[in-house]
Amino acid sequence: MAKKILIIDDDPNIVSYLEDFFGDNGYETCSAMDGSEAMPIVKKEKPDLITLDLEMPEEWGPRFYRKLMKEEEFRKIPVIVITGLTGGKYAIQKAVAHITKPFDRDKLLKIIKDTIG
Amino acid sequence: MFKQILFATTASPSCDHAARVAFDMAKRYGAELSVFHVLGIPSRGFSQFVKDVRTGETVTLDDDYLAWVKEEMKNTYARQLEIHTDCTLEALPGVPHTEILRAARKKDADLIIMGSTTREEDKGTYAYKSTTGSTLQAVTKSARCPVLMIGRPVASAWGGFSNIVFGTDFSKAADSAFLFALKVAKKLECTLHLFHAYDISSIHSGKAMDQDDIEDNMMDAREKIRKEYIPKMEGFDDYEIEIWEGIPYVEIVKFARENYADLIVMAHHTRKPDPEKEKIGSTVEQVVLRATCPVASVNRPDKIKDM
Repeated sequence: MAKKILIIDDDPNIVSYLEDFFGDNGYETCSAMDGSEAMPIVKKEKPDLITLDLEMPEEWGPRFYRKLMKEEEFRKIPVIVITGLTGGKYAIQKAVAHITKPFDRDKLLKIIKDTIG
Repeated sequence: MFKQILFATTASPSCDHAARVAFDMAKRYGAELSVFHVLGIPSRGFSQFVKDVRTGETVTLDDDYLAWVKEEMKNTYARQLEIHTDCTLEALPGVPHTEILRAARKKDADLIIMGSTTREEDKGTYAYKSTTGSTLQAVTKSARCPVLMIGRPVASAWGGFSNIVFGTDFSKAADSAFLFALKVAKKLECTLHLFHAYDISSIHSGKAMDQDDIEDNMMDAREKIRKEYIPKMEGFDDYEIEIWEGIPYVEIVKFARENYADLIVMAHHTRKPDPEKEKIGSTVEQVVLRATCPVASVNRPDKIKDM
């Protein structure tokens, strides 16, 4: 069964690019525009991995991450931060990886494969 | 909650992190935002010359230069100004902290937002790593309203208030900080952490402290929080009390980071004999420089009552 990745980003171009890229590499995807939209999707879709932007219109990445960590069922889902924000790696220090936009897609794919197979 | 926010900026890259928070906060909470810039420092009294913040050169102050500075500010914040239209830009010459405080009074600001330092040229030096800028210190000491300080780029990755850490040393000034933290927590439905760090730094200077004594003091501090702050909560129950031992600024920064706090509220209490001559308290200064979220310094109750 294909592993599922939840993409949380407010930029539709990034979401569409990642959906295609992950799809081409055999992953299923679902997406959300910000943290508040993402939590119901996490509960419904139970993703194996989450890619998370930091700066979004309503609920930003760090706040979503805090909510995620409070949920026993989901706190072990690996999170990869993908952001253009300077110093973003310090915002969610327990993330599996921090990728800065613009990013190297092969590097991202390797991190995902190493994390969830 | 916040009606009038004053964002004091040099409009240089060192204020970009503070700008991100200022514009987002104004938009999120429907506040009017004044982007305020003070040009250089006149040499003696009124001067026809100011120091250009970007080049460091002395330039003649006239209407053309002032118009050029405002144009530069517009360009610097062009992206944010497109989204946030309820915003005014202002630039004038003077001593920065005096003009910022004057503008805050005149505009009846609920909040001043600033970066922790503007000395980009000092990057990597001891002073840059361990002290805040002199303007920030002067404004924080005298402001009648809370001052929100953004020290690190990561402190601008916040996205609104939901999780507040109030760090107390039980000083009189901390009462005002508590009122601010409580009002924000109530109005914006946040979790409020009432935090005290019992200072054991004297151990490192040779004073022996028994762990039983330390833990007794920590229990006393918990009791003090229960007695001093909880009765003022008036039904608000989304709070937690936490007491840690250690070096206060380290513990506050660690606690806020581990709990994904998006705001730290403190008073800048100083125990020095003449507070007027002293800098802001060393604990709040170090917290500003090291925290992963914005830090609000509150010392006076003046503006909090009206919030």
